[in-house]
Amino acid sequence: MHLEYFKLIDRIVELDIGERRITVEAQVPRTNTIFEGHFPGYPIMPGVLLIEAMAQSSGWLLIALTKFERMPFLAAVKEAKMRSFVNPGDLLKIDVSLVHEGSGYAITQAKVRVNNELRCNATITFGVIPFPNPDLRGHMEAEAKRVGFPHEAIPTTSPISTDEPRQ
Amino acid sequence: MSSTFDQVATIIAETCDIPRDTITPESHAIDDLGIDSLDFLDIAFAIDKAFGIKLPLEKWTQEVNDGKATTEQYFVLKNLCARIDELVAAKTPSA
Repeated sequence: MHLEYFKLIDRIVELDIGERRITVEAQVPRTNTIFEGHFPGYPIMPGVLLIEAMAQSSGWLLIALTKFERMPFLAAVKEAKMRSFVNPGDLLKIDVSLVHEGSGYAITQAKVRVNNELRCNATITFGVIPFPNPDLRGHMEAEAKRVGFPHEAIPTTSPISTDEPRQ
Repeated sequence: MSSTFDQVATIIAETCDIPRDTITPESHAIDDLGIDSLDFLDIAFAIDKAFGIKLPLEKWTQEVNDGKATTEQYFVLKNLCARIDELVAAKTPSA
């Protein structure tokens, strides 16, 4: 987890295109300036960053389902629950499943666990649009290497269509 | 079984907290009911689920942006309901 660069996901552990779900891991750093302010003498991971971690995890699933043709952008966060604290040094396991694929948008459900204990969860809506420029796509492809994106898991035809109803 | 309009009006009322009795078949979702694009995603999700379809929002938006269609064709509720009925009919195998 590189908080300074807003890169919250360390690695993709499992990607199941057929089941439309992904599992990723993210190691919360033991020390960071964020913990000096949140909170002095009682460092905990900010809930907004946990939501961002769930969003980024969801993003990898949606990029995979669209075969790197589209970029998801955060549109809405619902039912976000911070169930118990996440501490410096915790290893997050984040499971995401696709709730709905719409035309130009998608909804996911994400759960963050530490040592198999559910710490937070959310339902998240994304606008899913073609990459706005080649630079961003190139950046995401480079990031994919960093997180161990399993390209072999992507079939030749996209499971997410744009406007065709899913039968 | 309630009509397509009744179902859509109920979805809009519940999703956007709009009084049900102010929603008519002639209502324009954007101009009359004040529904913005983000709220319309919630409505689209509810409609997709309720009718087992996928509203082609991207295609519609593109057509409007290209001047090939008007927002009235897709966002006046009686027209929206007609599009929904067409999508439902298209996914149902003929007898």
